[in-house]
Amino acid sequence: MFEVQNLTACYGPLIAVNDVSLSFETGVRMGIFGHNGSGKSTFLKCLVGGVKDVSGAVVFGGSPIVADQVHRNVMLGIGFVPQVQNVFPNLTVEQNLHIAGSKSNSSFLEEAYALFPLLRERQDQLAGDMSGGEQQMLAVSLALMTRPQILLLDEPTAGLAPAIVKNVLNSLSRINSELGTGLILVEQNVLAALDVVERAIVLKGGRIVFDGASEELRAKEDLWAWF
Amino acid sequence: MEYILTVMVLIGINVILATSFNLILGYGGLMSVAHPIFYAIGAYCSGLLAIHLQIPVPLSILIGAGIAMVLSFGVSLPSLRVSGDYLVIASIGFQLGILHVINNLDFTGAAGGLTNIPVLNEGPSRSLVFVLLIAVVAACAVFLVGWIVEGDYGRAITAMRNDEEAFSALGRNAMNIKIVLFAIGSGMAGLAGALYAHYFAYVTPEQFGIFTSAALLTMVVVGGAATTWGPLVGAVLLTTLPQAITFLGLPVSIMAPLQGVIYTTLVIFFLFARPQGLTGGSRGGGGLEAWSASAAFRARRDAE
Repeated sequence: MFEVQNLTACYGPLIAVNDVSLSFETGVRMGIFGHNGSGKSTFLKCLVGGVKDVSGAVVFGGSPIVADQVHRNVMLGIGFVPQVQNVFPNLTVEQNLHIAGSKSNSSFLEEAYALFPLLRERQDQLAGDMSGGEQQMLAVSLALMTRPQILLLDEPTAGLAPAIVKNVLNSLSRINSELGTGLILVEQNVLAALDVVERAIVLKGGRIVFDGASEELRAKEDLWAWF
Repeated sequence: MEYILTVMVLIGINVILATSFNLILGYGGLMSVAHPIFYAIGAYCSGLLAIHLQIPVPLSILIGAGIAMVLSFGVSLPSLRVSGDYLVIASIGFQLGILHVINNLDFTGAAGGLTNIPVLNEGPSRSLVFVLLIAVVAACAVFLVGWIVEGDYGRAITAMRNDEEAFSALGRNAMNIKIVLFAIGSGMAGLAGALYAHYFAYVTPEQFGIFTSAALLTMVVVGGAATTWGPLVGAVLLTTLPQAITFLGLPVSIMAPLQGVIYTTLVIFFLFARPQGLTGGSRGGGGLEAWSASAAFRARRDAE
């Protein structure tokens, strides 16, 4: 279980996340939405300790998330997929997956290939030579190699063609249903993401302005006024 | 003959220095320019231990290298939390600060240098034996770095250099890798310094300044950063080139600044014309391209 209490995150004088409190189970499928600068990516980073200047508390499974100690926090069972810079371009697909698995258990490699068969076909290709969608599949697989209970994804469909967006989101749904891995999804692509998540959070100016079922958000006639 | 052997000793020492600098700069992507100061620490510590405590020279060489390795933590622990431009500035500060201390202490010989350092070996074949020794040590340095960067640990280094954020997101500690690379590279530089001191029996602070940083950078860039053989090729070329120029018989007013001009020109030329260096592959095979690969691929991805 993730528990966030009075979380505030700053970049110098700028308050990106302002006194946010919420909690959710690890198996959840939750989307975090908001316009640019609303604090959604910062909030996601805080869940894994990726922001230094924070106050309040983030607790995962009874263990505190320590700021600026991402490498330790993820070992608690949190997979984190950054928006960009999420694969190692100079290494092949297989080497990427081995790097990811070496700290946990490389035996998941076959399961990762089963989830994304394309990666097996491209296992000897440099990650930097793959398309954006393929890189995103690899990035998700890298995070899965750490065997997380919950996966945090920062705009996994950014810059992808609509057909590929559907592909990536379907893969995430399968990961949740087949592996039981929770999904926390920060997305600009609201309508597509609402198909995948069951709970939606909307941030505005670093504060939560909506927290409810995804269907409730989708049903709002003034949906776009929330962003 | 003695002259040629002395040049060969210098080549061997520069191979160790460039190879160890490549581990930090080329493979680790850590933009430190303070490598010569660990070369100095090895030289001075080993020399002083042999002079004042009469420690046997082979032992003092090892201790000198060990001290350089230990003191590297003094730079790496506080300054490796920053990167890029900040690390360059922090490392320059450390280098100039230590040099300033050496320049102003009596027991280091101050600006006049440390003299009467006991030599490692004596006898009629002294230089030849030393050349053989330094060749073995240089070969070990090249193979040690080659061994480190191969296999799982080497791939982790590449991943860390490609992207620290993604690397940390996989539960890997980038700081640990940086500190280990910095310590091994600095220890090797200290070893090179100690060997230098116990061959030439004399060291001065000016040998370890920014000019030496520029020379080592040139060797790595020209030979090929993040390649196994690049620093060796760079060290051989850039140690022999200035020696060869001395035979041209140019006036001193031209000769004096020529070396610096050559280094600068070579670095600029290779940065633009052949960033992979002389030994780097056409793509992804090392060199400065290895550093810029992640930026280039992100730009390509963003453009899609």
